[in-house]
Amino acid sequence: MFDLLIMLSRYLFVFYIGFFLWQGIVYIAYEQGGFLGSPYRAVSIQRRLIIFMHITAFLILAYNRETMIYDWKTVLFGAAGCVFLLVAIHFLDRFYYEGCPLIWTGMLFLMDLSLIMLQRLAPSLAYKQLMWMTIGLAGMLMLPFFFRLIPRFEVFEWAYIIICYGLLLCTKIFGVERNGSTNWLRVGVFTFQPSELVKFLYIFYLASVFRKRIEWKEFITTGVLSAGVVALLVLQKDLGGALIFFMTYMVMLYIATSNEFLFLLGMGAASFAATLAYKIFSHVRVRVAAWQNPWADIDRGGYQIVNSLFAITTWGLLGSGLTKGMPKSIPVVESDFIFAAICEEFGTLFGAGVICIFIMLLYRGIRIALDSRRRYYSILAVGVTTMLCFQAFIIIGGVIKLIPLTGVTLPFVSYGGTSVLVSLMMMGLLQWVCVYCEQHGIDEDAPPIMGIEGGQDYE
Amino acid sequence: MNNMKRSIRRIFWLLALCFFLLLGYLGKLVLVERQGVSTNAYNSRLRYVDNSLRRGDIIDIDGEILATSVLQDDGTYMRKYPRARMAAHITGYSSVGKTGVEAAENFEVMTLHNEFFQRIMGIATKKELVGNSVVVTVDMDIQSIAGDLLGNAKGAVVVMEPSTGRILALQAYPDFDPNQVAAHWDQLKDHEDSPLVNRGTQGVYPPGSTFKLVTALSIMENMKDWQTRTYECTGEAAFQDKVIHCYKNKAHGTVDMKQALTVSCNCYFAQMAKEIGPGKLREVMARVGMESPAKFELAYSQSKIGLEASATESELVETAIGQGRTAVTPLYMAMFVSAIANEGIMMQPYIVDHIQYSNGKVGKQTVPKKLTEVCSTQESAILRDMMVSVVDNGTGTAAAISGVSVAGKTGTAENATGNDHSWFIGYAPAEDPKVAVAVVIENSRAYGSATPVAGKVIREALAQLESK
Repeated sequence: MFDLLIMLSRYLFVFYIGFFLWQGIVYIAYEQGGFLGSPYRAVSIQRRLIIFMHITAFLILAYNRETMIYDWKTVLFGAAGCVFLLVAIHFLDRFYYEGCPLIWTGMLFLMDLSLIMLQRLAPSLAYKQLMWMTIGLAGMLMLPFFFRLIPRFEVFEWAYIIICYGLLLCTKIFGVERNGSTNWLRVGVFTFQPSELVKFLYIFYLASVFRKRIEWKEFITTGVLSAGVVALLVLQKDLGGALIFFMTYMVMLYIATSNEFLFLLGMGAASFAATLAYKIFSHVRVRVAAWQNPWADIDRGGYQIVNSLFAITTWGLLGSGLTKGMPKSIPVVESDFIFAAICEEFGTLFGAGVICIFIMLLYRGIRIALDSRRRYYSILAVGVTTMLCFQAFIIIGGVIKLIPLTGVTLPFVSYGGTSVLVSLMMMGLLQWVCVYCEQHGIDEDAPPIMGIEGGQDYE
Repeated sequence: MNNMKRSIRRIFWLLALCFFLLLGYLGKLVLVERQGVSTNAYNSRLRYVDNSLRRGDIIDIDGEILATSVLQDDGTYMRKYPRARMAAHITGYSSVGKTGVEAAENFEVMTLHNEFFQRIMGIATKKELVGNSVVVTVDMDIQSIAGDLLGNAKGAVVVMEPSTGRILALQAYPDFDPNQVAAHWDQLKDHEDSPLVNRGTQGVYPPGSTFKLVTALSIMENMKDWQTRTYECTGEAAFQDKVIHCYKNKAHGTVDMKQALTVSCNCYFAQMAKEIGPGKLREVMARVGMESPAKFELAYSQSKIGLEASATESELVETAIGQGRTAVTPLYMAMFVSAIANEGIMMQPYIVDHIQYSNGKVGKQTVPKKLTEVCSTQESAILRDMMVSVVDNGTGTAAAISGVSVAGKTGTAENATGNDHSWFIGYAPAEDPKVAVAVVIENSRAYGSATPVAGKVIREALAQLESK
């Protein structure tokens, strides 16, 4: 009987995410001048959908099939998660007055999904994840006050990059190895990934430099320093991190200079560097081989990716139903491969929905960048959005075997304290840019807000 | 500033494109590649059992049940195979993992048609829920005859309808009893004869003289005067560091291509292949699809071309008569001979005809699909003429059927074990092909030749098709 309910719940989850995305479209349509429904109502429906999804999932997770009673510990944790979501919904609006509501709901949806999946896969990690989320949320709520205290934080460009290098070199020297990458640092009882913190500072650094007119000097210094960061990450075997930093640099350089030639040149140089890395490093070759033909080496190199493909394809569009799949057959499923577990138990349709949520976040992030009247904030917003979305792209792409696997976390969803903390901070930064521009944008004689799809041309 | 906004928009589209790629690839994975990926033997999820519904049946084309599930007292289902060994390599088993159609259509037989509706109705009426049934193209009458004729000779029989690629029968021996797989798992999995391997699709053998049909094709295409060319066969011929003998060193005298094929003269084909060269021969081998992966529902091995364009003369002449490193599956040979029967058009082989929903409706009917064109209509007619001559007055007389003209080619494949494999591929009626067969028998010295087996299979298959 309970199995039957799980079967039926699969339709419910697909409905949740489908309706959630539809409400996002309703909101955007209103903004673009169309009308599919009230945007305020759309956002409040989205919030309710998150809560409903949370309750549905924890009702399934907490039920113990052998004893036929509810496990109070899981119920309690579910309640705590619910409180967290409600508090987050309540305070985000207060602290970021007029921030983009779709970014908040999208982010909370993903975070809720993270709590559900971790409770399913490894409850002890779910508790820790919730703790990190709470800390991250508190930090994010403090962010606007912090920025108000230091009004012109773009002048500290050198400080940012020096701290970046400091952290990376510390990792190189004192780093501990985990999951094949030596990009962890231990301080007391905590281990964390400095490369995650570096992301935040690095965007600040680039935006600070690029806010001015870019001459050869700026171009060369940022280029060399970025290449250094990427090289350090490659040496730590953090290929995914290296790829993300490189892409962020190229994108920020491109929007600051509007020079396609430079962008293509950078891509060419990257392909060359990638070929070189393939020739030099054996761990790169192993990754590429596992991507090209994981079936040839199922027992070792291809094991992860093959099991991930099994998880995604076995149950089809609607998935196996929560708790009914076998996601634990995939190594490190709770961090890098969490997307495969989501596809397995919630179905591929739901997985596609998760990708659509990232598209929504991307769209909203880019809108903020377009609407911002100051060059510095535009660059900052694009940097944050690119970093986050590109990270989502390379890990999902790796998990479904579109591109070679590089071990990075899926923002907001994967288990990882530093990752959650930094992702939240980046979202806070993005929203702060949005709020700041709403408040300070009117006095400048900038052209009216432009739509992405709009055919307007201001050349 | 406007420049920058334009750049930002471009970046948006670039990243959005990345995400659309993800969506597209995910869709392809789950809609197109799903069956191939998820039925891999390493997938531990295949062992998953869902007792909330009855697994659908596997049914032959005439409605005979090949696999079904029976409810036991403890509320779980037990899989039964009424035809046991006779259809073992088609149904496969569903106990210690899954193989055969059980694996290929695992998710179809575990799927409820209109699931949502059926589940609700199930609660209301307390009726048993039944998954979709799979109807295979196999005709158990032909399948049983093929099984009886093969007896306990190691080998395989593949019967195919040339015009569509439908598999009418697929027998392989050694076989196993799918009802007993779990009980006898330890013996079965390590057995030296590997009974769990379907020799019809997974057995890879040197093609022997049946390969001469391919050589003949490349001669027709690359030698302008082939029709008038004759060759003086003395029973053996020397090439580079290899001496080619005809069977039992028999001297065939002056032969043209038709006679050479009829009596299966090795020296003729070796000499002609030498004149064509390895590059041209390899070209034809690749074109007839020997190495291109076909899609097939059951697990199959890939046939291999063992000839490089830079091969030595010895390698070339060995390949031309079907020895050497080239290796094929009986399934491939059935596809190839079907293509000759079908005016040069090779069809995609398939064994699942359609899905039958629990309410009796038919769904997902497989549509025959053209795979490739291996030769022209004229070439196929010439080959047919020669193959009829093989059966009428050549090496294949044992496959002749009274009243029906059979086209075929025999083969004897020498191999590392020292015991020759016997091949026969052919089709009938020659003027209007209804069935094509490929038969291979390992160790023919002990178990006899494939040719009479193939003849009887063709005769019975035609009789069965006639009576329906």
